[in-house]
Amino acid sequence: MPLNDLLTPAAVIPALKVNGKKQALQELAAKAAELTGQNERAVLEVLMQREKLGSTGIGNGIAIPHGKLPKLPSMFGLFARLARPIDFEALDSQPVDLIFLLLAPEGAGADHLKALARVARLLREPDVARKLRESEDAAALYAVLTLAPVSG
Amino acid sequence: MAALDTVSLTILLGALLVLAGIVSSLIAMRFGAPLLLVFLLIGLLAGESGPAGIEFNDVRTAYTVGAVALGLILFDGGLRTRLPTFRSVLAPAGLLATVGVLLTAAIVAPVAMFVLDAGWVEGLLVGAVIASTDAAAVFFLMHTRGLRLRPRVGATLEVESSTNDPFAIFLTLLLVQILLAGGATWQMAAARFAQGAVLGLVVGIAGGRGAVFLLNRSGLPQGLHGPFAATAALVIFGVAEAMHGSGYLAAYVAGLVVGNHPTRAHNTVIVFLDAVTWLAQIVMFVILGLLAWPQRLPATLLPALAVAAALMFLARPVAVFLCLAPFRYAWRDKLFISWVGLRGAVGIFLASIPLLVGLPKAYIYFDVAFVVVLVSLLVQGWTLSYAANRLQVALPRLDAPPHRVDLDLPGQLEQELVGYLVRANSLYLRRRLIPSWAKLALVVRNERVLSPAEAGEIREGDYAYFLAPPEKAQALDRFFVDMPAPAAPDERLLGDFFVPGEATIGALAEIYGLQVGADEASKTLADWFDAQLNGDPHEGDTLPLGAIKLIADQIVDGRVKTVGLDLAEHADEEGAPATLKARIRRWLKRIRSVRAGRASGHRHSGL
Repeated sequence: MPLNDLLTPAAVIPALKVNGKKQALQELAAKAAELTGQNERAVLEVLMQREKLGSTGIGNGIAIPHGKLPKLPSMFGLFARLARPIDFEALDSQPVDLIFLLLAPEGAGADHLKALARVARLLREPDVARKLRESEDAAALYAVLTLAPVSG
Repeated sequence: MAALDTVSLTILLGALLVLAGIVSSLIAMRFGAPLLLVFLLIGLLAGESGPAGIEFNDVRTAYTVGAVALGLILFDGGLRTRLPTFRSVLAPAGLLATVGVLLTAAIVAPVAMFVLDAGWVEGLLVGAVIASTDAAAVFFLMHTRGLRLRPRVGATLEVESSTNDPFAIFLTLLLVQILLAGGATWQMAAARFAQGAVLGLVVGIAGGRGAVFLLNRSGLPQGLHGPFAATAALVIFGVAEAMHGSGYLAAYVAGLVVGNHPTRAHNTVIVFLDAVTWLAQIVMFVILGLLAWPQRLPATLLPALAVAAALMFLARPVAVFLCLAPFRYAWRDKLFISWVGLRGAVGIFLASIPLLVGLPKAYIYFDVAFVVVLVSLLVQGWTLSYAANRLQVALPRLDAPPHRVDLDLPGQLEQELVGYLVRANSLYLRRRLIPSWAKLALVVRNERVLSPAEAGEIREGDYAYFLAPPEKAQALDRFFVDMPAPAAPDERLLGDFFVPGEATIGALAEIYGLQVGADEASKTLADWFDAQLNGDPHEGDTLPLGAIKLIADQIVDGRVKTVGLDLAEHADEEGAPATLKARIRRWLKRIRSVRAGRASGHRHSGL
């Protein structure tokens, strides 16, 4: 299932320039706050809370920071392709260059879990990750994320 | 000469039947049919209403064979039970084996009274006869299916099913006596029970120790250790019975003692008793099948089915849930333990006692027990692995263990010689890994025996023999498993996310909106795996936690270091066509969520 329901074309950053994990999360929180009208600090806080539990770097240069926000009206996704890979404390220690941020309303429950699983499983497809790394502009990235057929 | 002919014919027929049983086990394993059912059917077919038409109504012989077989089976059961396993589940399994049996019998009793139009003692007797789960049935089925259960669930079932037979036998004998001789008082019953249990225990422990002593000191010639242990078991059984103790309990306890002491020729004994147990099973089931009177079954079929249903769907689950309530078992575990309350030969064997002592209408017990056992083996036996998987008590299968050669070293208890064929993809060959307690002793290459120095580098196709402590030998197996080249990792065993094992359940529940028990929230995931898997987690083991699944990702020194989170079912699991299976699955899921929602005192965050 492609991610049309989670992602809008505006929520794709084709070449984000950051120097580290913290700055990446700050930049993404700021962008997410801008697009959803939520408090930037609150967004950053839930993301940091999750990172404290263990890195959301799932390996192969992919990270999926996520969290729940009480006042969010619906699930929100934000994708960023980094200009330069950064250390994200990922399990496999590989630098991360593809980040998908997912925020869910407090009561989303099973939908939140399902959406997260979908994002993780989509990005884990070697084909999808390769295409994302090859794409230069926001429209192409958006197309990969929303048109890709998912197997498994 | 006619008398001799009869004897020869009896031998021929008997041997043919047992042979048929042995050969049919091959077929049964291939089709996954409950093996014991096949043995029973062979007996039935050979009996007076089957095509073979053998007339066999000798209850006394059947009872004797059954008692001997059961004694050996219980001894073997004890022999294979590790003492730590036994201790870890002694309280829950012990409660199930006593109170559980009593509860089961008591709940079945009114149903039996109603459908069989009997008195309450008769009803209780029906309940008692079918109240015990059959160790052999439970474990034959699990092993032939290659199920690997969560250790706590497996251990509970194992210990329960071997310890509840003595209690069911006691209860049956007590009730038969009441029916024969009239009233009995609670005090008398309690005294009888205490006597049976204490004497059984004492004789079992003493006998077991004596057997260990003799095995180690007597210098028996090779090959006689096995027969010695088997006959010793029967002597212990007989002594306990003669003293009015429980011989069945004594046999089990003696097995436990022998199996957990270092003895000479330990493996020979195990292998021999394995064979003896098989034979005992086959003979017992075939004889009980022979003894049955299928032409009479239609009359008791409906009441018997009602009793079976009451047992499977009411008595057993109630008994299990009540007995396990004080202990920490997931409801899934309890449901599975309820469902695996397989009945077996013990039920039919016990049902032959009323016949033997000549109770009025004794055949009713036999017919009912026969149908109940058949139904249980058929319905529960066949759905066993399905239930294990659906209730998530099954663990991923390990690779088939490699063939291990165990050689006993006479005059030496601490070490034995274990040999393996070295395969190309074994851990041993690829990584040159071997535990420090194992010492390479000799190598057989191209039919030549070489010392480690002569052999030099071990190659594929060599037979490597190690000196190792007998109790640890099994742990060597994994170094010799021929593992296929690392394939793509199983999608299902790959978490969507990973967290360290030291993260707490509470923190995880907070972020993902999971419902967990208040007392679980402060536990770390590593401790949770440890507790749920009895300290033996393997990579890829999964545990449900609220709506998600935890996957043991990396294990370091027996502790889970990283945990994969499987957040949602996989694509091939959801949106499946509306088959019956899918519908049942959805239905189960709904029950699960209703239950989870109702559970009080649980944290509710998010969902």
